[in-house]
Amino acid sequence: MRIAVLLSAGRHPVSGTPVLPRLEAQAVRLAAGLGEAVGLHAGPDAAAVADALGQGLGRIEHLHLAEGADPVPALAARLGTLAPDLVLAGRRGQGGPESGMVPYALAEALNLPLIPDVVAGSAGEGTLRLDQSLGRGALRRLVVRGPVVVTVHPDAPAPLAYAYGRARRGTVEAVTPAPAAASVPEIAVEERPYRRRPKLVKGAPAGGSAAERLKAATGESGAVASGRVLVEPDPEDAAREILAYLRQIGVLAPPAAPGDR
Amino acid sequence: MSRPRRDPRAERASRQVASAAGEAARPRYDRTARRGAGRPRRDPRAEHERRRLAGGSRPRYDLGQVAPPEGVPSTEARPRPAAETASKILVLEAPAFLVAAVPDAAGGRLSAHDRQVLGAARALAGREGGVAVLTLGPCEGCGGAGADRLIQIEGQAEVYDPAGRAARIAAALAALAPRHVLFPESLDGGDLARRVAVRMGAPLFGNAEVVAAGGLIRPARGRRVEQRAAPGLLATVAPDAVADYAGPPREARPLAVEADGMAGRDTRPAPILAATRVPADPATVPLALAEFVTAAGNGLHDLDTFRQLVAALRATPGASRVLCDAGLMPRHAQVGASGTVLAATCYFALGISGAPQHLQGVAGCEHVVAVNTDLHAAMIERAGLAIVQDAQAVMPALLRLLAQEAGGRGGVS
Amino acid sequence: MTSLMPLTTVFPGLVWLMAALALVQGLRRAALWRVGAAAPVAWLDGLAKLPRRYLVDVHHVVARNAYASRMHAVVAGGLLAASILTALAILPPIAGFRPYWLVVALAFGVTAIGSLLVGARRYPEKQKRLSAGRFQILPFLLVAYAVGGTATALLLALGVGGVFAPLALALAAAGGLGLAFEVRHGPMRHAAAGALHLVAHPRPGRFEGRPDTALQPLDLDAPRLGSEMPADFTWNRLLSYDACVSCGRCEIACPAFAAGQPLNPKKLIQDLVAGLSPAEPAYAGNPYPGGRAGEGERGPLARLIGPDARIHPDTLWSCTTCRACVEECPMMIEHVDAVVSLRRHETLERGALPEKAVGPVTELRQAGEPGGRPLAARTDFAAGLDLPLMAGRERAAVLLWLGEGAYDLRYGRTLRALVRLLREAGVDFAVLGPEERDTGDLARRLGDEATFQALARENVATLRKYRFERIVTADPHALHALRNEYPAFGGRFAVIHHTAFLLELIRGGKLNPGRLPDLAVTYHDPCYLARYNGETEAPRAVLDAIGVARSEMARSGRRAMCCGGGGGAPVSDVPGERRIPDLRMAQAAETGAGIVAVACPSCTAMLEGVPDRRAEIRDVAELLLQAVEAGR
Repeated sequence: MRIAVLLSAGRHPVSGTPVLPRLEAQAVRLAAGLGEAVGLHAGPDAAAVADALGQGLGRIEHLHLAEGADPVPALAARLGTLAPDLVLAGRRGQGGPESGMVPYALAEALNLPLIPDVVAGSAGEGTLRLDQSLGRGALRRLVVRGPVVVTVHPDAPAPLAYAYGRARRGTVEAVTPAPAAASVPEIAVEERPYRRRPKLVKGAPAGGSAAERLKAATGESGAVASGRVLVEPDPEDAAREILAYLRQIGVLAPPAAPGDR
Repeated sequence: MSRPRRDPRAERASRQVASAAGEAARPRYDRTARRGAGRPRRDPRAEHERRRLAGGSRPRYDLGQVAPPEGVPSTEARPRPAAETASKILVLEAPAFLVAAVPDAAGGRLSAHDRQVLGAARALAGREGGVAVLTLGPCEGCGGAGADRLIQIEGQAEVYDPAGRAARIAAALAALAPRHVLFPESLDGGDLARRVAVRMGAPLFGNAEVVAAGGLIRPARGRRVEQRAAPGLLATVAPDAVADYAGPPREARPLAVEADGMAGRDTRPAPILAATRVPADPATVPLALAEFVTAAGNGLHDLDTFRQLVAALRATPGASRVLCDAGLMPRHAQVGASGTVLAATCYFALGISGAPQHLQGVAGCEHVVAVNTDLHAAMIERAGLAIVQDAQAVMPALLRLLAQEAGGRGGVS
Repeated sequence: MTSLMPLTTVFPGLVWLMAALALVQGLRRAALWRVGAAAPVAWLDGLAKLPRRYLVDVHHVVARNAYASRMHAVVAGGLLAASILTALAILPPIAGFRPYWLVVALAFGVTAIGSLLVGARRYPEKQKRLSAGRFQILPFLLVAYAVGGTATALLLALGVGGVFAPLALALAAAGGLGLAFEVRHGPMRHAAAGALHLVAHPRPGRFEGRPDTALQPLDLDAPRLGSEMPADFTWNRLLSYDACVSCGRCEIACPAFAAGQPLNPKKLIQDLVAGLSPAEPAYAGNPYPGGRAGEGERGPLARLIGPDARIHPDTLWSCTTCRACVEECPMMIEHVDAVVSLRRHETLERGALPEKAVGPVTELRQAGEPGGRPLAARTDFAAGLDLPLMAGRERAAVLLWLGEGAYDLRYGRTLRALVRLLREAGVDFAVLGPEERDTGDLARRLGDEATFQALARENVATLRKYRFERIVTADPHALHALRNEYPAFGGRFAVIHHTAFLLELIRGGKLNPGRLPDLAVTYHDPCYLARYNGETEAPRAVLDAIGVARSEMARSGRRAMCCGGGGGAPVSDVPGERRIPDLRMAQAAETGAGIVAVACPSCTAMLEGVPDRRAEIRDVAELLLQAVEAGR
């Protein structure tokens, strides 16, 4: 099977070093298990995506674009030529507007179906079996007829370790892209340094003292704030309390009422 | 608004205690009585007494810093019931414009994230605008979450056909012509939003963490910067970023939309040949993904009962490092900094005292239930419900209770 | 026979024949070493120093076991003396001198006694650490040669011949030729290869009295990275593995072996030996814990590592690089170099790191820190303390290297204690703060030389920007990298461990600690300080200066047991039957001390993580601060 993996120029979330985004490294691993894969990157610089060579790709094609140019037309043209059986991408490429639109726009441009959030795949006869994550380990097992565009879910197997020797053997090829206009108008945005906002905490006290609100804001609240201690209760009472609590927070199914069936 | 002016003299007079006849004419006041307004006065003695733990001859106090001044159970942590029937329903007859919200509404119910999206939509709609919820199939509780209109689009929610679903939603949106459309940035919602965006040829503002009429804000470049833009047509809302709608319930009036649903339908053969849902099996799901983890520690010696309990609770088994080191539980079941860091909704710790490395592994768990003999164990401190009791005794009781419930059901059916 | 040729010629002739056979067998074996890569060897220097290396350095190790030392002195000395004396008798004037033969008989007699000492280690019951197999016939060969030789020499000395002479000679011939034959595959290989190995040792610095323990840098442009098969090792490394005598001292010292992890250093070296040639006889010592036998192809070009090859990857990743095996090896074999060379291939060429190690190594590469934490957060432990940054002042007497431990909540206490002590003593110091990257120690031990070299270059560049006299660090792993491994990347710095520095401050009167006689303390030596750098005295002197009741564990100093925290073992996390730190804490408990003094963040973390431990874990700096505060 011929596979194209879309690679984007990511940045390490802490250090800011140019790195291959983790999801795309996971996509590379999925691809390595399925067939012959080539990486595809459209952007000004391929330094960050060269990491993928050490993580399971043998070859990367670099479509040189100006900073800020829309990668979709160039990628669509190149993918049209390559005509792979499978296009793998992360959920949201980095380096551009990071809206996660590229795989969708590509699927539309290439008139291919798109399957999101895949964690595993295997090839059948002219078909692909894909496991799609529904969160928390639940899956939807799909059989699709290719070619198809697939995005990868973070629960997919962890990326392969970077091997310096493999990276040394891999190649990055520059491919001149066909000039094209932007397909979707971009949103005008105003940028500034990120400001962390308190995560919304369920059950945060609306009133209460400043200390309580602070606890709610820093995540030290919820269960902790309403901690309840039973000292040496009767085991039966303890069991009832526990089951009631587990049901209240919704992790344990309520006991079926008599006459349910 | 100004505070009412206080009249100290009158206040004092109101507290005067009627003196018994014949006593000296010295006026006496009751200073313990609560004043009508202002903060309640603290009573350290009573607070201390409230911390006293039941049982035991010697008085024992829970001196943990986190105990609330009053023993409020965690019930308040629940989301508000969808319909507050007591209050009046708010009706918006002719909204100046519409803000559409497209919730996931899995199983016909709004998720917490969906409610936040409705809250965000409500914030964008303001006083003039109306919030319209678009769902495939029925959806309950939209009014309480802030919806003025409810548009049900025909279609089988059961069949996995994301492209078809997006086409119908896009057609309905085209007919409805809302000013803004909000989706949850969830697995399904994010997918749907992008499909709709591609179909409508409109840009999408993804993963907004702040939604206000003044502008939307999203993180970018690995959370190094944030981007702000005026609300456009399409946007998705990040989870746990925007508050639910907190006002009185709204009407959620059903609205029919004349959408040319077939216009954009694909004529290609369906690419998805088969789709089967495989629910997560709690017994085998990777620990990091598990929703409900029940874990054993050094305080347990009967692991067979523990395994039965895990199966009966439909939980995922976990263990402390000591048990894994001893080979009593598999290594992949180890919870903690050197094992697996959990993202579970609930962590049920049996006989685990809570070493720092272990607590690091459960830092992300929303609820913790702990059973341990040591009142001063860190895990007891961390737990939302802590039982100071031998876990070995509690396990059979839990099993009996669960069996009773199952048996009772079996008896009737 | 005597009628054809006089016994005085045949007997020396036998020894010459033995020598020839030994040479042939040795050359057959040596042909295999030639598949190895080239290595620079100072032949003349090595040859000149051979006696000293053997008699001083080897003896120093062998003599730790007095029996083995005496046995070798008698058997090896006797064998060499008797054989050389006999060989010289090929010259007719000597052969005819009867008292000469008496001396020869005496030498053979000594050999015979030695042979019995050799036999007593194996019969009636073999010592557990020794290998069986061909080694079990060694005493018989020795006894045959020695007794036959004694008898022959005595007959020659007495001038009697007759029927006994051919019998005695035949016995000597059987034993002697047997010994010579064994030079290729058997026990006598260790003598031949061992001598040559001492000449061509890959780390000649070991014999010069300095700790030559830095890993040798890998040329990242080399066509092949690390060792995949025997032919990838240099020839003198292959030779060194042949020097292994399977004495099993390494397996007794190995912490991973003790913990039941699938590593046995002796078996590992024997697998490297066996991997070289399919003709190698079967291994007859203790197996890897878990009992996995070597399998798969053999030969110079056969893959060594793999679930289906001779060495399982888990064996490779179990090593804590503590060098206990190297310290104990009487043949001066460098086990850790072999492990790292094999790891380098696994990591650099195949990306086959242990699953759990991938994250930390990736973060090291991308963020310069194995936890992926911001570099600026390294100084968070010092909230409230005044911690001057190098960037603000350009120069300081002492640069304090914080290391990885600074991110650890527990170890932050130690560093706070150290910083307060430096303040107390009025030391002019500064830290790099956000400019300090990890030294890359973890990456290097796990075989990721590329990441290590990148980090080393960045750190060296940073350090060179500033002017300071010395680097002080509380992390022996960082100390080893900075002091011993960075010079290869252009960074020569004076690096001193915090315990040595604190001792200087005490001796210089800058710190005046009180005495804490109520504390019972045992000191746990960090591998990277004691074995890698030979520093065992300073921390003990500090503890003595504060007057604690100090006791020693059975294994201490250069022969201390590892805590299990080195070489990336905690992140590789290969399952075993026990845990190394638990074993070490049990050893500490035997001393009855209530406090285990440590001097390394890894040791602190590993020993603190032992459940149900009764002793407290305190860094030397923490104890000293307590004493200083008590002395006010």
